This record gives sequence, structure tokens and C-alpha cells, in this order.
Amino acid sequence: MATFFGEVVRAPCRAGTEDEEEDEEGRRETPEDREVRRQLARKREVRLLRRQTKTSLEVSLLEKYPCSKFIIAIGNNAVAFVSSFVMNSGVWEEVGCAKLWNEWCRTTDTIHLSPTEAFCVFYHLKSNPSVLLCQCSCYVAEDQQFQWLEKVFGSCSRKNMQVTVLTCRHVTDYKTAESTSSLHTPFLKALKTQNFREPLCCSLLEQPNIVHDLPAAVLSYCQVWKIPAVLYLCYTDVMKLDLITVEAFKPVLSSRSLRGLVKNIPQSTEILKKLMTTNEIQSNIYT
Amino acid sequence: MSRYDRAITVFSPDGHLFQVEYAQEAVKKGSTAVGIRGTNIVVLGVEKKSVAKLQDERTVRKICALDDHVCMAFAGLTADARVVINRARVECQSHKLTVEDPVSVEYITRFIATLKQKYTQSNGRRPFGISALIVGFDDDGIPRLYQTDPSGTYHAWKANAIGRSAKTVREFLEKNYTEDAIANDNEAIKLAIRALLEVVQSGGKNIELAIIRRNQPLKMFSAKEIELQVNEIEKEKEEAERKKSKKTV
Repeated sequence: MATFFGEVVRAPCRAGTEDEEEDEEGRRETPEDREVRRQLARKREVRLLRRQTKTSLEVSLLEKYPCSKFIIAIGNNAVAFVSSFVMNSGVWEEVGCAKLWNEWCRTTDTIHLSPTEAFCVFYHLKSNPSVLLCQCSCYVAEDQQFQWLEKVFGSCSRKNMQVTVLTCRHVTDYKTAESTSSLHTPFLKALKTQNFREPLCCSLLEQPNIVHDLPAAVLSYCQVWKIPAVLYLCYTDVMKLDLITVEAFKPVLSSRSLRGLVKNIPQSTEILKKLMTTNEIQSNIYT
Repeated sequence: MSRYDRAITVFSPDGHLFQVEYAQEAVKKGSTAVGIRGTNIVVLGVEKKSVAKLQDERTVRKICALDDHVCMAFAGLTADARVVINRARVECQSHKLTVEDPVSVEYITRFIATLKQKYTQSNGRRPFGISALIVGFDDDGIPRLYQTDPSGTYHAWKANAIGRSAKTVREFLEKNYTEDAIANDNEAIKLAIRALLEVVQSGGKNIELAIIRRNQPLKMFSAKEIELQVNEIEKEKEEAERKKSKKTV
């Protein structure tokens, strides 16, 4: 075929090229390619470390610490909610942390944590070690979600376990036939597995909305393994750490899984406010 | 949808100008502003943004005078607001020099709205990401409150709110704006503060208030004056609660 400038260029043929052998040689993986691929896989490996050490856990987290109640907070607003309301009402001990790397993630040490840093830490309640909590504010990429699930759940006993996941999503992802101006953001929606029988704190997520990323992976895992699990998804119009969004999770405090864990709500609100002011990034764009 | 939201001048098949609608989302990122038109007073109340420690508070203003008898509060992009306010101020003086009369509130609102509309129809420019509440008294002594939005529309209101949580505040105003509530100036001021307290975190110290009385210049309330009003409102609330509990007993 002739291009605009009159030069003749061979059009790509979808039936297969004539000089297939030449191309195949070019496409064959060199040892360097294999090495690069191996290094990349190693870099993207999800490692579950014992608390404040650099040694990995030999078994999955829930095999080592059997749990009856597992609360997972994913995203900075969910993490702030759990920090102020749940972790404040009891003594929690760190049992491990997940370190992973991907293009979005910058994990640092888990000693001085703030909701603006990316991390993934696991705690259990000292007074009742079968209650586990995970604060995950780093992004777990698609290829790492399976590894994360294996390292956390593994082949643990799946009886008598209940999982609650809290996360946020931007309201522009919410598909509805209503006009978007009639939506009162932030608002909560729930999605549960078949085995979850308890009453929900908000309405179910309607079709065609779907859940993404790690919360979806956890829920799918629980559905496959018949673990009762519920996801509370907060649709908000502010994706950074925001008081109104965090407070939108409050209805979840009345759920059976969190009710026993939350004691001092006014104090929690104060802690939340302090958390907000210390982490407020001064932006003068909007007034 | 993404094919029709990049260029400002492109309509989508169902008649939306997505850039204009997105500009309205930018307005929601600004803190709340409320405007109330009383019988002899107009009130503008805003939620103050928290300033950084080293920032000069006086340079972070949401309420600005456009002329001696007109002022406005905005919500949305700070820089866009600055540009619009400057243009409006120049227009106010230009009008005064040309026709020797101060602008009417409707005139300057129409000017701002026309300016905003122009930016929704030219290529290479984006709409202004601000909504404004413009208040003032005309020569005939009638109080006015207008609201403009990024699409360039403007309407007169008895009371309105813009910015974050505007819907909540507007619902409050719909329930509580009565002839009694604006019977006198003080009541109108209290109504504005009560409306803001519905959504402002940490109460009175994050509120800024401005009023214009007939034939008087703009008055900005000091923090103390606002605190006094807030305390009065709290007392009234307590009274109302006590009366309620007495009734049930």
C-alpha cells in the first residue's frame, strides 16, 4: 500500500507473516528477559512480616492467629474511622504487617503510622485475641491480590469466622438512574456473601454497580469459601481524608460485629477531629 | 460519556454540557456560604476555611465587597473568584463613571452571569468554577439576594446556600425561613448563623458574617460579635429543649 507521501509500505498481514521463523527468533525469550521477569516478580511479592521484625510468617496470618471476627479497613477514610472508633476502645496488639511494592505503593515502617502513609498492618484485640483487624491504606495491585489473600487467609479454618470490610469509592463510579444531583453524598452501600445472615446497616449495592480492587478480592474469596462476609462501601465526593466521609461510616457501629468493640463514641469523635487537623494538607485551590 | 466531556463547546447527544456540570462539582468543594434576604437587612454567612499557621488570615476571604452597597460571597476555585471579583469591581466603578449612578444588584449580577456564560461558549477556555451569592440594596431601598452558578444562570432568592453541604443548609432554610424569622435584623442574622451551624464543624469560631443594612455600608462581624450570637442561639435552644421536656413531663 502507498502512504500519503508515496512510499510503498508493506501492510501488516493478519494471516501470518511470511518470514515467521525470523520473527519467532526475535520473540523468543532471552535469559535476560527471564531474569528481568523473575526480578519483577520478586519485587512485587507480597510479604507478611511478623510484628516489627523483618522475618516472614511461615504460615498464613489466620492460621497463626485463628479468628472469629475479622475487620478489614481499606483506604484512608476507612482506616481513619477504624483508628478513631474501634482501635480507641480497647488495647490492640500488632501481629503482623504486609509489605508489598507496586507502582502506586510506598510502604514505610509501621512504627509511626498516620493515615496519609501507605501501609497494611494487622492487629488483634488483647482481651479477645480472636478478633482481628486490618488497616490497609496501600494499593494492592491485581496481580498481588491473590498473594495477599493466600498470605492472610491461606488454609485457615473457615468455620465460625465473620469478615467485615470497610472501604470508600468516589461517587462518580456510582451508576444510578437517578439524577446525580439528588444523591446525598457521602452514603453507604453494602454487599454481602451468601452465608452472611445478619441485618445490614444500610441498603444493598444495586446493579450494575460493582466493587473493585482488594475489597472485591476479599469478598470473592469469602463467597467461594462460604465465609459470612459483608462489605460496607462509602460513596463519597472527597477522596482524600475527610471528616464527613469518615463519619458516614457511623451506621456500621450498630452492626453486630462492631457493636461490642466500640465503647466511647464522643471521645472517638474528638480523636477523629484531631486526626483530621494533623493530617490536613493545606490547599488553597478551593475556598 | 468521556467523548463529550473534554471540550467545553461540545454537547453530548442527550444535551449535556459536561464541563459546565463538572464546574458545578468544583463549587461543591468550596466551604459553605449562606445568604439571607431580610426586610431591612441582607446577611451573608460563610464557613471559614482553616488557615495554615503561617498564613495571614486576612488574605483568605470568602466575602468581598463589590461596591459600597453590594457584596458577594463565593464558593469554589479561589483564583477564578479573584478574577470574577476584580472584573465586577471594575464594572461597578465604570458604571458609576458612565451613568453617574451606582450599579443595581441585578445589573452587576447579570454582568457576572454574562461573563460566566461567555466562558461556557468559547473554545480553549473552561468555565469559572465558582458560584456566587450577591447581596445588596438598590437605590429604591429594596434588599436583594442573587445567586449565580458556573453555567451563567442567575436567580433571585429569599435565602440560599452554596458550596459544601449546600443541600442540607437549603433544606434547613426551607423549613425555617418564615416571615417571623426575618421579622427583624437580629432574627435574620441568627437564622444565617443557625443555618451554618447545621454543617459547620467546631461551631462559631469557624463562621464569618457580613451584613448590609439599608443606606449603610457593609459591616463585617468580629469574632466576638459572632460568638455572642452563637451563645444566644445556644441559650434559645436550651430554652426550647427545657420547654419540650416540661411538656412531656
